[in-house]
Amino acid sequence: MILAAKTIEEFRSEFKSVDISEVPYDKQGYHLAIEAQTGNLLNIVEFLDRREFYIVDLFCVDYQDYLELVYFFNTHRELCRVKVTLKLDPEKPVAPTISHIYTIARWYEREAHEFFGIYFEGHPGLTYLFLHSGIDHYPLRRKHVPVPDNDRQLLDSFKPQEEEDCFFVNLGPQHPSTHGVLRVVLKMDGEYIVSAEPVLGYLHRMHEKMAESKSYLQFLPNPARMDYPGALLFNLAHVETVEKLCGIAVPERAKYIRTITCELNRIASHLLWLGAFPADLGGLTPFMYAFDDRENILDILEGVTGSRLTYCYFRFGGLYNDIDEESFVSATKRFIERMRERLVMYDKLITGNVIFINRIKNVGIMEQAKVRKYGSSGPFIRSTGIPFDMRKVDPYEAYGSIDFEIPTGHTGDNMDRYLVRMKEMEISLNIIEEAMKKLPSGPFQTEKVPKKLKPPKGDIYHAIESTRGETGVYIVSDESDTPYRMRWRVPSYSNLMTFPYLAQGLLIADAIATLGSYDIVVPEIDR
Amino acid sequence: MARFDIARFGAEIFRASPRQADLMIVSGTVTKKMAPILVTLYEQMPSPKWVIAMGNCAISGGPFVFKGQYNLVEGVDLLVPVDVYVPGCPPRPEGLLEGLMKLEEKITGTRRFPGPESKW
Repeated sequence: MILAAKTIEEFRSEFKSVDISEVPYDKQGYHLAIEAQTGNLLNIVEFLDRREFYIVDLFCVDYQDYLELVYFFNTHRELCRVKVTLKLDPEKPVAPTISHIYTIARWYEREAHEFFGIYFEGHPGLTYLFLHSGIDHYPLRRKHVPVPDNDRQLLDSFKPQEEEDCFFVNLGPQHPSTHGVLRVVLKMDGEYIVSAEPVLGYLHRMHEKMAESKSYLQFLPNPARMDYPGALLFNLAHVETVEKLCGIAVPERAKYIRTITCELNRIASHLLWLGAFPADLGGLTPFMYAFDDRENILDILEGVTGSRLTYCYFRFGGLYNDIDEESFVSATKRFIERMRERLVMYDKLITGNVIFINRIKNVGIMEQAKVRKYGSSGPFIRSTGIPFDMRKVDPYEAYGSIDFEIPTGHTGDNMDRYLVRMKEMEISLNIIEEAMKKLPSGPFQTEKVPKKLKPPKGDIYHAIESTRGETGVYIVSDESDTPYRMRWRVPSYSNLMTFPYLAQGLLIADAIATLGSYDIVVPEIDR
Repeated sequence: MARFDIARFGAEIFRASPRQADLMIVSGTVTKKMAPILVTLYEQMPSPKWVIAMGNCAISGGPFVFKGQYNLVEGVDLLVPVDVYVPGCPPRPEGLLEGLMKLEEKITGTRRFPGPESKW
């Protein structure tokens, strides 16, 4: 809050004519709102860049009379979310690019271009990122706006051009080590990578478009299908945002159960990664052990939620049903005990393995200073030494009353990313244990939550810490029972976009190891 | 160790190349961008070859079919012939194992184990 006040002061002295306003944080989820013009947008973004803000998200909302570009910024030191908006003419939407200031904007702007038809002046390559070549309109526009003929050449998103002494390798979209259907076009010089270019959209399932035609309740199963290994956390992001938007209170017991189940899901997701990461390096044994442990969590969560993988357990104002205290608590305790023993075993089996260490140490180093240019989050940035975790920065559910530490790394290489995740599993076990001790009795669901939610007019951004980082939901409500616009800020997307930077000059085998250390989930990136 | 072991049915060998495969399991949503690649993969497989559509998305588009959708192939059987459909969102491991046995039954004409009895 101190930072927000200081930023206002500095902003007002630098920009006399631009309006900056304070926004109630607990209602809208951001502190400051700035209305920029095409002329001064770059100055404002540079102002924020000098104050070491990182870019959270960049997207567009179609209000029919005008298009609004929304930029979200935040800092790693203290929670201070800034929303910068830029109004554009829907007939001829042109905005200046900020990709030379924040690198990730290169991809966000391409996304805004293909879904809304916005042109960015000075963008290095405004081609399509997600959509297939048969699309003839801008899908997320409210009215049917056809793609102009001279833009059709951009549709075939990526066609490599042969150059002398170089050749191209298509990694994916059906390659097993891309963990889904991610495609990366690698420009190779012998066995070394000259440049890497991710091509997305092979699993684009139109979640954001779907949200516009479904009520808040009907959209509940969708988030779980975005991030299937960490389904409960995405479920939570959606539920919490709607609760905050409508002002629905959640009983204490539900908060604790949400915390426990979410942490269990976090461990399950990390275990999936623990199996897949050494497998990318050629070691298939850990896969068998990690999946064995993961089955235990799936059993516990299946007993509570009723499904094995794509959970939809949280409801607005509470939970779908209460836990069976006896069986759930005893099973979780047994699991914690077992998992602690297993973590010791993993230390011996994987962490202490000399070949494993030498393969991943000092490979794929991400500098701390570069991280905010990409807006990365989660274990990925904690491995570079930034102790930034939404659970700590902006405590939600029961995290405020539980004491836990945030593991960080030093160099930000593959080894650090591995160690941070291993430590996180241990800490999640502690969180679960403490939350189970403090688990209060009482109702698990607030009474009087209407079936048809009609939130007040306005917008809200709310973020939680999912397995891979900051997962945010931005909702614009127009007082109807469906969201006017729902935007998902997903962590894998901004993490993945550092790959072109990290892969440069690596051997192809090391690049695969680096990609494995990201723990990306493709349905989440493609949405 | 691993609870759901398809090695029991002699089906555990995983090949990263379609040229060495005789079964393709389509285990997710097929988008219009992915469709040409999927067809290429199928054509790269040597005969005899079989396809399992795993999950509601691969069967019919599942929950992602809605009015105005622009990126979905509503069922992989619109692209390649499918032998066995395994429903679920996602299917349980037992479901996939049953799918494999169904395929075995289709190929050989005999069933390895008695199937589950119908309750209704």
